[in-house]
Amino acid sequence: MLALDLLVNGLIFGLFYALMAVGLAMIFGVLKVVNFAHGEFYMIGSYAYVLIALKLGIPPWLALPLAALTGGALGWLVERLLMRPLYAGHGSWSSSKDEYAVVVTFGLSLLLVNLVDKIVGPYPFRGPVLIETSRFSIGPVMLNGQKLIAAGVSLCLLIGLALFIKRSLWGRQIQAVAQNRLGASLAGIDATRTTSMVFVISGMMAALAGALLAPLINPGPDVGAFPAIKSYVIVVLGGMGSIWGGMAAALILGVCESFFAVYVSYAYRDAFGLMLLILVLLVRPQGMFGEKGREL
Amino acid sequence: MNVARIAALLGLALTGYAGSGMAADPIAIGISIAQSPPGSVVQGTQVKDAVEIVKDMVNAKGGVLGRQIKLIYEDNQGIPEKGRAAAEKLITKDKVVAIAGGHQSSVCLAEIEVAHRYNNPYINTNCWSDDVRKKGYPEVFNPANYNTRVSSAMTDTIIAMGVKSVVAFAENTDYGIGQAKITGEMLKARAPGVSYKYETVDRAGKDFTPAILPLRANPPEMVITIMLPPAAYIVMNQLYEQGVAPSAKTWLYDGSGLADYPDFWQNVKEAGKYMVSFALYHPQMATPKIGLDVAAEYLKRTKNEPNRLIFQAADSLLLIVDAIKEAKSTDSAAIIKALQTMKFSGVRGPFQFGKQPGYGYQQWVDIPYVNYQLTEVNQPISKTNLIQAPGQALDVKKLVRPAK
Repeated sequence: MLALDLLVNGLIFGLFYALMAVGLAMIFGVLKVVNFAHGEFYMIGSYAYVLIALKLGIPPWLALPLAALTGGALGWLVERLLMRPLYAGHGSWSSSKDEYAVVVTFGLSLLLVNLVDKIVGPYPFRGPVLIETSRFSIGPVMLNGQKLIAAGVSLCLLIGLALFIKRSLWGRQIQAVAQNRLGASLAGIDATRTTSMVFVISGMMAALAGALLAPLINPGPDVGAFPAIKSYVIVVLGGMGSIWGGMAAALILGVCESFFAVYVSYAYRDAFGLMLLILVLLVRPQGMFGEKGREL
Repeated sequence: MNVARIAALLGLALTGYAGSGMAADPIAIGISIAQSPPGSVVQGTQVKDAVEIVKDMVNAKGGVLGRQIKLIYEDNQGIPEKGRAAAEKLITKDKVVAIAGGHQSSVCLAEIEVAHRYNNPYINTNCWSDDVRKKGYPEVFNPANYNTRVSSAMTDTIIAMGVKSVVAFAENTDYGIGQAKITGEMLKARAPGVSYKYETVDRAGKDFTPAILPLRANPPEMVITIMLPPAAYIVMNQLYEQGVAPSAKTWLYDGSGLADYPDFWQNVKEAGKYMVSFALYHPQMATPKIGLDVAAEYLKRTKNEPNRLIFQAADSLLLIVDAIKEAKSTDSAAIIKALQTMKFSGVRGPFQFGKQPGYGYQQWVDIPYVNYQLTEVNQPISKTNLIQAPGQALDVKKLVRPAK
């Protein structure tokens, strides 16, 4: 019974991890840089959801897409104002693009955390639930409604994103730019617009993860740090830039952490993810699902 | 020299004298708090609100030794290294006469090393770890609560309630681990029949379910939280979600004074109902007039009910002001000597610092506390079920168990 509880809890948190990490994987896939402000997209999504619902009195089901739009808008702005110099006609900058990306995204992360801290305040806010249900049990597994709904929405979003990338024209354009930016441009794909789209999607996904979890994790200004670290681990475990690998790694990490916490040591649960990361890098540097390199 | 010139010179001299008197340098006092993450900005904000109120009150009455007081803030972010740098800067660059504000034990432990090196008075506002006292530094004074006091109170409560099995969730900090260990030692000595264990959890963690799930199959009679928000809120919500505590089988007992945080009910809702809480402030506690004045001003400025941290921070600054008055000097050694010997009467009543080595060194040893139970969602502290008044025995009959 305990094992089933752990499996369900691990899968649910794995879905949350996946929703968070997928945007990071996409950005790495397209730009080959790490967005260190990714956790703050999540934080902005949490706050947008909570403030829209609690302060403006808008129903939570409407606040959820509005939070996603906020994250998407932030992603678009970040790409347009901060990331475009990496690839759009700034030759001297792009020669040290890794350093530029680290500095600019890390600075953005600190800026956003401190802005929210000063403007909204330091107190954590628990977001409103999407559906008012008391705790309930399905067989031996005890759940609350919000957790189940958040997991369900996350699963739908991940499947939707996977289909979008695989089947849609824009999704194929993203795949093309990720594989070869110059080649995609020569084939007539607007790589700049595609990159912009990737940042919008990444911002929306992270913001949705933050909004869905806002009733469960009591977000404060620094709420993004924890999921961001998990996301970095997942992206490397799954294979840098691989969406599918990232999703699988998130679920594996969620379940493994859950079991490790109970059967080995709760205190070292987070260290387990990092141990796994080191192990995978030693044995399989391209990540668990990294055969296809940085394909999307 | 004619009369007009003499009068002009006298006038200039008098103007200059008056000018220098008016412009007497303010007395600088350092306040090191967390004003940005990852430290507890919630606590830092409360400390700042309280010391600002006291500063304004003191300055409105003419200051101290005829000089206004000026507070210089440093943001330590709850990081020990930043705290050390903050203390160094406050003492060497800003020339503060004393430092106060510390509200996270790991930061206090770093800062007191600097204060000790420069022989600068350090008032510990809210660092509970006994280690801050055990260092035995003559510069460090503790009007704040301390771990041994809480553990002793919790042990008394556990014994009085007849609880036989206890699981504690302690945050992975000097405060949390220290508190959990001392509680275990006290229970072993005073109630050896009680089974006790604690789980160390990350204060930045978001999912504590794996630590909670094993308790469902084998629920203890009491779960204790030794954690700060927001992690404490998440643990409470997940304990409630899993049906572990509070429940008909398991009491939830908070040893951190969570219920008086202004954001408590917004963050826990049903999970806070029936929680029993150790606390350092309850409106039914006797409060001197100066305490009531600070409380009223805090309510006016922030629209929040005052809590123990407001009073602790207010006392920290008042202690420095009174010590300067007593010493009639801003010299560090004179202030330290005054603090060691004077009888202080602050916003929480009169006290004097202890002299015994160990956790009681330069500590307000008999700091008053209460225990109360929250019996309704959104219940204000004044309406809670007071099960132990200061200095009284715990009245177990007043406790209310959840139906399921």
